[in-house]
Parts: sequence; structure tokens; C-alpha cells
Amino acid sequence: MAPREATPRAHRVVPVSAPGSGLGEQIALFLLARSPLGALVQWVARVPASIHVKLLYAFLLVVLLFFAMGAMSLETISRMSRHSRLLDEAHKRVDSSRQVEHALAMQMNFTAMALLLKDETTIGRILRENNRFNSTLAQIEQAAPPEERDLIQRIRAAQDEVLTSVADIANLLRDGKLAEAMKLQLDSGYPLYERIEGLVGDLVKTEEDRMESLRESVARADRRAMVLVGAFVGTSILLALALGFVISWSLILPVRAADGFLSAVAKGEFGGTISVPNRDEFGAFAEHMNRMSGALHQLDEDQRQAGRQLRALNEQLERASRAKSEFLASMSHELRTPMNAILGFTELLLDETYGEVPQPLTQPLADIQTNGRHLLQLINDVLDLSKIEAGRMELSLVEYVVPDVVGTVQASLRSLAMEKGLAFRVEVPDDIPPAFGDAKRLTQCLLNLAGNAIKFTPSGRVVIRVERQDDQLLYSVSDTGIGIAKDQLDNVFAEFRQADATIAHEFGGTGLGLSLTKKFVELHGGRIRVESEVGKGSTFVFSIPLRVEEAAPA
Amino acid sequence: MSAKTILHIEDNEFNRKIVRDLLARTSYRLIEAADGESGVVTAKRERPDLILADIQLPRMSGLDATRALRADPQTAHIPIIVITSFALSGDDRKAKEAGASHYLAKPYSPRELLEAIRRFAPEA
Repeated sequence: MAPREATPRAHRVVPVSAPGSGLGEQIALFLLARSPLGALVQWVARVPASIHVKLLYAFLLVVLLFFAMGAMSLETISRMSRHSRLLDEAHKRVDSSRQVEHALAMQMNFTAMALLLKDETTIGRILRENNRFNSTLAQIEQAAPPEERDLIQRIRAAQDEVLTSVADIANLLRDGKLAEAMKLQLDSGYPLYERIEGLVGDLVKTEEDRMESLRESVARADRRAMVLVGAFVGTSILLALALGFVISWSLILPVRAADGFLSAVAKGEFGGTISVPNRDEFGAFAEHMNRMSGALHQLDEDQRQAGRQLRALNEQLERASRAKSEFLASMSHELRTPMNAILGFTELLLDETYGEVPQPLTQPLADIQTNGRHLLQLINDVLDLSKIEAGRMELSLVEYVVPDVVGTVQASLRSLAMEKGLAFRVEVPDDIPPAFGDAKRLTQCLLNLAGNAIKFTPSGRVVIRVERQDDQLLYSVSDTGIGIAKDQLDNVFAEFRQADATIAHEFGGTGLGLSLTKKFVELHGGRIRVESEVGKGSTFVFSIPLRVEEAAPA
Repeated sequence: MSAKTILHIEDNEFNRKIVRDLLARTSYRLIEAADGESGVVTAKRERPDLILADIQLPRMSGLDATRALRADPQTAHIPIIVITSFALSGDDRKAKEAGASHYLAKPYSPRELLEAIRRFAPEA
């Protein structure tokens, strides 16, 4: 993993357009950025109260608005009913003033009739009409505004005079002085009536004007009340909406910030912080997340640090491993050069390149050769093992023919088996297809196993068998030798282990053959196992793929 | 026909002596070089019939020497037997790739070496 710089980022409460946001969202974001609502949202977030309390207050405020709206409506309704009552009264006054007018007309009428008919009954009627006039006028006066009182006083004064003249006229009529009564009526009665008529007409007009102006003012007042109520309702709705907006966004913004922060954490960007103005549950939440982020960042840093150390260590190991292989390479060369001289000169001596070899020297020279070869084998095995341990052993994968490999082994060991008088057989089926693997190493494995078998078998036979099982080849080497005790079976593949220390003394061998064989088999992706019974013999079986994968584990 | 010339490039005196002693009773003429560079110079001057080259030599490795000789048209045809140490598997492949005609692993049997020499440069 490439080292990546941690970039601490603060996840602030800023209105960020969420993917796939609709028109409502766009409007909300616009309002947050461009209107005082944004500042209000921040302010509400900063209020040190729990979400529960904030929501409660918001709802209470809305409820209060509803109450105020209801109260205002009730007040408007009562004002309207008062207006209608006033209108009603004005109507009545107009009616009353008309009745006064009517009563006056009747008085005049009855006065004229009394002059014509000259009877008491008609005069009584005049008085009755007069009474009605007075009582109606009194009614009007009762609720009359001050400016009307004067008018009414004047009407009453004129009416009193009329009553006096009517009484005089009535007396004159009773005395039979018709002409004088007529004259009185014409001189004083009529002008008085006319004056009263004018005054009453003024009264009627005044009342009618007042009613008209009242009607107009009531209509104006009602219109004003409607506008006021409408404005209040509108304002209330806007206020409630703004309140909902502010409260909800003061909660949504920290959630968004937390969401952004958590997404960053999920993407592996640790160490970021979340900054919200809230001093409610979200504030506490953000603080916890920041603490978690810090811990994660620390963990991440520790892990990176560990990773760097591991890489450094790995490189160091790599270098050490390379140094080891280089050492192995030069070691191999340096050891082989003198071995080449020792074995080469011994062979030249034995081949009598330098002249005839005296009889007593022949055996010692042969011993030098045998031990030299053993030493060489030991060197080879040690180097091979070292290469395997260093992970530098590579298989040379080639196409090979199984009978050829087995044939090579048989040819190499035939004379050894014959010397010991052992039956040495190979059994390879004819139908094995061409195989792919490290033929040289496989030959080495079979040589090790079969060489061991011959070595540890005093009499009887050694058999190399090959079988094919699907895409696997099973190589087995069985003998009728001394066998291996059950408690030693686990040790046979360990380095420098022979089943019994005395065996090494008696039979020789490097003690590395089986260990190497196991490792080569495993390098091929195969397995090896052994079955044995003391005194009866042993069977080593290893399986390897018919065709080894190019990238076999090395 | 005159005797065949064999150039042996090897830095170890004992190993040079083995080949010297091996070829003493044959008709081959032996010339020697102790490092890769002088081996190449000698080969170009003497035009031997066969070259034996150790793989690990001072100044220039046996593989580089083989490549240099193969690159020169005057020496390109000369058979070269590379003596490998099997230090790491793949030496034989490297020897072939460098242009060796044959390779022998150290320690070799002098008998086998003589067989190989006779195969690539039959005695006159």
C-alpha cells in the first residue's frame, strides 16, 4: 500500500447540496446562505438546551400564535356585532324622527279638521297626537348626542307654544268664536307648525345623515378588521414556517456534517474533525465523534508506522536474503574449485595418467575418491538446503518423459544393487503422457529414496513404481529392508536425522537426502509419506502434479 | 595436419594443472589464460580449435568472455565448453544463452572432460 498522507479535514456545518436534491432542497440551501434565517439557524444551534426543550418551545410558540389568532378573531366578531347594534339604533332613531314628523302632520291635520268640524272629539285627537309626538321626541332625546339636544329643545319649546295656541283655539271654538279661532290658527298656529315642521325636518335629516356616516364608518372598520386578521394569519403562518425551518435545519445541518464526516471515515480518511455550533445532543455527539476520529487517526498512524517499519524490516530481510544467496553462490564456487582439484587429481592418478600406481596406494586413492565424492555430495546437499531456506531455489521446469527419469535412476543404482545381491525392479506403465517438471530434481529425489532403500536392505528387493492418478503422478520406492520404528517415522524427513544414530555409523549417508527430497517434492506442489514396519521394510510414496504450474511455490 | 590447439581459461593453478596433465599424453597443444580478459585477447590472437572457460573468472566472467568471442566473427565459430559451478540453478541455461557449445559442472571428471574435448575438437 502506497503511503498516503492523512489530510485532516473539518466537517463544518455548511449547507452542502446533497446529491439528487430537489427544488425544495435548493430553496432551503438558498435561504440558509442568503437570508438571515441562516444566522438564526446557527443561533438556535448554539442555544444551550436539549433538542427536546427546543422542540417543546417551538411548538409552544406555534400554539401561542394560534391563541393570539383566535383572540383576534373573537375581538373582530364582537366589534362587528357592536357596529350592527349601533346601526340598529340609528335605524330606530331615524324611524322615531319620522314618527315625530308624522305625529306633527297628524296634529296639523286634526287642528284643521277641528276648525271645520268644531267638535271636541277632534280636539281630543289633536291632544292625543300631541302626546304621541312628545313621547317619541322624549325617546329620541334620551339617546340623542349633545348637538341634537338643542334642536330637540327648540322643537319642544315650539311644540309647547303650539299646544298653548291649540288650547286657545279649542277655547275659542267652545265659545263659538270661530272667526277668532280661524285667525289665531292662521296667525300663530300655522307659522308655529311650519317652524316645527322645519325643525323636525332638520332632525330627520340629521338622524339620516348620522346613520349614513355610521354605515360608512362601520363598513370601513369591517374592511380594516378583515385586512388585519388576514395579515395576522399570514404572518402567523410565515412565522410558524420559519420556526419549523430554523429548528429542523439546526438539526439537519449537524446530521449532514456527521454524515460527511462518517463517509470520510468509511473511505479511510481518518483524523478529520466535525465542527458544529450545536450545544445540544448533537454537540455532544460531534465531540464524541471527534474523539473517535482522533483515536482512529492515532491508530491509523500507528498502523502506518508499523507498516513502514515492516517494510524497512522486509527490505532488510530482502537484502540479507540477497547477501545470503550471493554468499551461497561464491561459497559453492569456492568449495568446488578445490574439490575439482582433489577429485580431478585422484582420478588422473587412478587412471594412471602419471604412470603405474603401486599396489599399496590403489586402495587409499580409491578411499580418497569415495570420501571426496561423499564430501561433494554433502556440500551439494547443504547448499541446496540453504538455497531452499533462503527461498532462492528455483525449479528448472522442462518437458520430461517419466520412463527416462526412472531409467536414469535404475542405471545409476543397478551395480550397487547387484553388489548386494538385491532384486532391483522398476514398474512404469506405458501410457504415461509427457510430464512437465524439474526432471533433474525428480531424478535426485528418486536416487535419494532408492539409494537409501538399497543401503538399508540387506536382502530381498527394491522396487520403484510409478502410477498415474488423474493429473498426479505417484512415485513409490519400496524395499524389504530393516524398516523404521513407528516412533521414528516423524523424524525421517528432518535434517541430519537418521532413525538411529548408530545407523549413520553403519550405513553412512549425509542425513540430508530425505529432507531435501521432501522439500523438492513440496516445491513441485506434491506430498511425500512413508509407511514402514521394523524388519519388514519401508515404502516411500510421493505425489507430484503431472504438469507442474509455472509459478510453483518456491 | 597440425595438432589442435586448446585454450584453457581458468584462474586456479591446480585446475589448470589437471587439464595440463590430462592433455600431456595427447596430441593437443594447450595454451592457458588466467582471467577472462586475457582469455579473449589470447583467443583472438591464437584462434584455438576449442576453448574451455571457467564460469567465474577475475576481470571478466566466463559468460561475458563467451559473449565477446561469439560477437567477433573471427572467433564466433570456435566451440566453447563452459565449466559451471551450479552455484545457482540456471547456470547451465545462462551458459547456453551466452553461446556456449557445451557445459560441464564442476567438479568434473577429467575423463568426461577429455571425452567432451574429443567430441568438439577430434584429435588430429
